[in-house]
Amino acid sequence: MEKNSNLNLILVLTTIGIVSALLLTFVFEWTSPYIAANEAEKRRNAINEVLPGLERVEEVEIDGEIFYEAYDNQGMQIGVAAQHSGAGYNGMIDVMVGVDLDSQEVINISIVGHEETPGLGARITENEYKSNYQNKPFGDYTGVGTPTSDPMEVQTIAGATISSEAVIRIVENAVEKINTVYGGR
Amino acid sequence: MGEFSQIVLLFISTVLVNNFILVRFLGICPFLGVSKQIETAFSMGLATTFVMTLTAAATWLINTFILEAFNLPFLRYVAFIIVIASLVQFVEMFIKKTSPVLYKALGIFLPLITTNCAIMGLALLIPLNGYSFIASVVFGFGAGVGFTLAIVLMAGLRENLEFGDVPQALKGVPITLIIAGILALSFMGFAGMISV
Amino acid sequence: MAVKFKELFSVFRNGIWKENPIMVLVIGMCPTLAVTNSAENGLAMGLATAFVLISSEIVISTIKNFIPANVRIPSFILIIATFVTFTDYFVKAFFPTIAASLSIFIPLIVVNCLILGRQEAFASKNPVHKSIADAVGMSIGFTWVLTLLGIIREFFGMGSVFGLQILGEWYNPMVIMLLPGGAFLTLGLMVGIYNHINREVE
Repeated sequence: MEKNSNLNLILVLTTIGIVSALLLTFVFEWTSPYIAANEAEKRRNAINEVLPGLERVEEVEIDGEIFYEAYDNQGMQIGVAAQHSGAGYNGMIDVMVGVDLDSQEVINISIVGHEETPGLGARITENEYKSNYQNKPFGDYTGVGTPTSDPMEVQTIAGATISSEAVIRIVENAVEKINTVYGGR
Repeated sequence: MGEFSQIVLLFISTVLVNNFILVRFLGICPFLGVSKQIETAFSMGLATTFVMTLTAAATWLINTFILEAFNLPFLRYVAFIIVIASLVQFVEMFIKKTSPVLYKALGIFLPLITTNCAIMGLALLIPLNGYSFIASVVFGFGAGVGFTLAIVLMAGLRENLEFGDVPQALKGVPITLIIAGILALSFMGFAGMISV
Repeated sequence: MAVKFKELFSVFRNGIWKENPIMVLVIGMCPTLAVTNSAENGLAMGLATAFVLISSEIVISTIKNFIPANVRIPSFILIIATFVTFTDYFVKAFFPTIAASLSIFIPLIVVNCLILGRQEAFASKNPVHKSIADAVGMSIGFTWVLTLLGIIREFFGMGSVFGLQILGEWYNPMVIMLLPGGAFLTLGLMVGIYNHINREVE
């Protein structure tokens, strides 16, 4: 067969394509369980962080949104968590927010994923920033550059106002999302 | 906010705030390689913008109607690179046939575009950001305009550099990188202007 | 035999300094600048690229005689993309934190001009053992520059190296080193120093 004949060209490319697709199917089958386990682990850690003292978590889907209801060892509900995303400085920020429905307060937040600048925006993952949200009443928050004086204020990170403000908006939306579903109960 | 103003904001933020070259580090190779003269830099930018807009549309369609519909995420990179390579080939043939003048200006840049990470990066960012079809095309076009802006600015600076007194060791690549650094710093001024 | 080994060694050594992919050939710049905000990320990116480069050079130099000239580039790209997808899934499965910090720059190895460039310039013309020597040399050359760049940027930008805090509380980190501007400036100065050393040696 002529080496540069059209038939040969198609044959070579198709062979490479088929081998490549088979190989990748195998790789996908092999790695998928690990990737899923990593995701689940990350989510579990985040829920544990935002709802401390939980014994059991129930995943419920209401109106197409997923919520995590947490119970302590006596079977009492200690709170509800939900994950919410929004645009940050470089990319999407995923935040897990845990709230106490009785006192209508945020318990804690956890940054599940982000692409912010290391050393600046990435400091949203530090406790110094996250502690801002502990025991915050539900509602709208304002970012301020100085230590907070009002319970509805959040102290932003110096040099990373955009990332800080982005997290504020995401937390507000997450709280609203939980409150619309659970608020009436 | 209305849908139209969303699209306009997306365009401006892609061009200035999240400039592909200076903020996202995509497409550095042509940025350093083809920025010696304003004229060639502009042609390169034009060719890239053209391919980027088409790529955005083509990869969105393939990702939505083939890869996601049949649950084949592991073929994404292979599919995207084939789409880009064929698209570049197709554009090259098309321009060659229809406009010899344009082909003369852009011809030599087209093959380079296949391995331009800005194009592949664009294809990868679209599913990641979950844009709609219209938003994807605007994103692609904006990315191209941003690319052109950065590369033309760079070429303008480098043309002036011809008359500058550059230390021997810094001549060529090093000084170009340092200028790019200063350019990137100045683009930080746009940061946070718009967040989409 | 001795001559052959010497030849192999000179191919291998080429990529590390004399024809360093970043310093001299100035290719593969996007990952070089984007992911080197820490030493760990730089090293991880270098290793991921090395894996793709070495595997594709082995495969391509083995099957080069079966590939018709007209579809050479598409065939190369297909093979490279396959290895990149493999790397991406592998890193996601077993090193999730590294996968998160490198994000889209692992898939972007597909369009790293270094990989395709070496297939064109070397693997498609040389036997397997020489191609391996070339790929390993180029990989080391690529990885050391990325790691060094990462070390410098992390040291000045966060006061640490490989996550180990070196400078104390008194140090006010130069955050600019972690931003795009700092990346360009540092690499520019590094290439400048490299050129200077080469001129001194001559």
